[in-house]
Amino acid sequence: MVALDADSLPFALEGERKLRRGLTRARIRWVIVVLVLMFIAVAGRLIQLGMVVQDTSIEGRARDLITATRPAILDRNGLELAVDIRVPSLFAEPRNIIDPEEAAKGIHSVLPDLNVDWLRDRLSGDKGFVWIKRELTPAIEDKIMQLGIPGLDFLTESKRFYPGGHEASHILGAVNIDNQGIAGIEKAMDNDDVALLQQIGLARGNELAPVNLSIDLRVQHVMHDVLTDALSRYQAVAAAGAMMDIKTGEILGLVSLPDFDPNDPVTALQKDSFNRMTAGIYELGSTMKSVTIAGALDSGRVKITDTFDARFGVRFGRFTITDFHGKNRILTLPEVYKYSSNVGAIHIMQQWGKDDFRAFLHKMQFDVPEPLQLPERRNPVVPKTFSDIVAATAAFGHGLSVSPIAMLRAMAAFANDGVMVLPTLYKTSPEDAAKTYVQVVSPATSREMRYLMRLNALQGSGTRMNKFAAGYRAGGKTGTAEKVVKGRYDSGHVLSLFASVFPLDQPRYAMMILVDDPHTEPGQGGHTAGWNAGEATGRIVAQVAPMLGISPDFNPLLDDELVPPQLR
Amino acid sequence: MIRTLNIILVITAICALVGVYALKFSVGDTAEQKAALERQIDRQEADLSLLKADWAFLNQPANVAPVIQRHVAELNLQTLSQDQFGNFAILPMRLKAPDTSALNSLFQSLDQGVDPITQIIRESN
Repeated sequence: MVALDADSLPFALEGERKLRRGLTRARIRWVIVVLVLMFIAVAGRLIQLGMVVQDTSIEGRARDLITATRPAILDRNGLELAVDIRVPSLFAEPRNIIDPEEAAKGIHSVLPDLNVDWLRDRLSGDKGFVWIKRELTPAIEDKIMQLGIPGLDFLTESKRFYPGGHEASHILGAVNIDNQGIAGIEKAMDNDDVALLQQIGLARGNELAPVNLSIDLRVQHVMHDVLTDALSRYQAVAAAGAMMDIKTGEILGLVSLPDFDPNDPVTALQKDSFNRMTAGIYELGSTMKSVTIAGALDSGRVKITDTFDARFGVRFGRFTITDFHGKNRILTLPEVYKYSSNVGAIHIMQQWGKDDFRAFLHKMQFDVPEPLQLPERRNPVVPKTFSDIVAATAAFGHGLSVSPIAMLRAMAAFANDGVMVLPTLYKTSPEDAAKTYVQVVSPATSREMRYLMRLNALQGSGTRMNKFAAGYRAGGKTGTAEKVVKGRYDSGHVLSLFASVFPLDQPRYAMMILVDDPHTEPGQGGHTAGWNAGEATGRIVAQVAPMLGISPDFNPLLDDELVPPQLR
Repeated sequence: MIRTLNIILVITAICALVGVYALKFSVGDTAEQKAALERQIDRQEADLSLLKADWAFLNQPANVAPVIQRHVAELNLQTLSQDQFGNFAILPMRLKAPDTSALNSLFQSLDQGVDPITQIIRESN
């Protein structure tokens, strides 16, 4: 255009203006295009950044789960049974490690128990996260930090610490390295709610409220101490015991030896150290006579003034059942209990009725697993229906295997005006406990049972116990059950039991002590229950009663008042 | 007119730039301080948890009992036996009026250099 109209200026001027305008428009268009492209690039980058998924997991598990905490476990008075401590754990990011060789040597210099080759292997490659060693001390953390190796870092983990060590091991159980309960109350809490809290990420820091158990650490300590002593004193295979508040059902102490150290969870899984109180079922021997007699008295068909012929054994076909401490005469009911007469117990049961006896065992919850919160439990073995001979042996505690906790519960009910309470390992108020009350025998029967228990301590097989626990009005029933060795009952190997209640004028605590395969203590009288389980019970009562606010009282009137009016 | 406006805008822009940068750096500083404080809190919480665990360990009957056992001989410690408990019922009633003759005889014996309490203690031993 310019070339065409070179001689006509106005045209040319106009053309030039047009030309410039066109040029400007083109430039603006380009600028817009460039700007739009830039914004598209920015938007694209933003979308890309938004799409990136941050890998916060640690070897396939959420980081939060690793650092999750557990609630502290306290005893009933607020003493710590289990606490969380925060400890550093060493991890590496191999993709950020420049020289695995140097890093491996550096770590080895601080942690000599780690193999250098293993370390080099672990630190090479392009993984994002590998554990090197977990649960270290702050001192080691400082040393590693001073090495200044890039790609190494620490994560604060919660580690469970049990300050009491062995003492309450079977109650507490243990946790694994990821802080999950593997046994005891720790596992029970996981089954309830702690695991859920950790899963949804609520269990951080010290936010979880501590859990109060029903355990009294002083009682637990005394019980552990006395039973440890019993284990060596009577050269026994095992010893176990539990003590319960008969009003609230709170377990104040529960020990089973041999036990384990919860700080070293591997030992928890040893076969021999299972919880004998809850996961063991036993033929409870003569302690069952308390149940037989209480049920018979409560039925009204047997009276405390009745007498029973114990002159001859009871024959069942080829078998004849006789007495261990044979008196071979006619015994009154209190004497049957006092001398622990098998024959007498069978006659009492027969006068009462075997079907009622079986029904009473169900009422006392002997044929269902014990209801404590611990996951370690076993089904009792009680025949569905009783034949004549099974009922006869069951009357003195053979032919049926039940948990010692069931017997503890029954003794508590017999002493507590016939009211049976649900045992628990958590601190409970009397009001909450009252909701679980079940009347199993009448208060009148309960009064007679208290008399019988005290009588046995004053004159019967509980005298060894009473010698140690003098003044604390304790009483109870021994049981010496022969163990089955190679398919036969062997009188050389017995299970000794002592089921007791104290103080009997105002019953408050029930206790069950079990000594497995005891031997005669040198210079002492025998290996029956009174000599071992009985003595251990006495020692425990003498030590814990003052702690529990029970003062000794030697007033003979207290014992006289327990005697039922018919027998005065 | 436009030039003045431009100058004002440019100055505002420069001021804003300086302000925003200053703010950015101060925020960075604060964030660093926060991180440092968090690290410190973390560290102290960890230390605290260890100290609490220590305290719990030292308070355990399992830990106290052996300490007592070690000092039984030196401190002449004995287990409380049942007959050492008393109660209010066994305390004698308070006298209605002071027993003057008994007090006189006590003072007399003290004057003579005989302390009846020491005698009782000696006899009981």
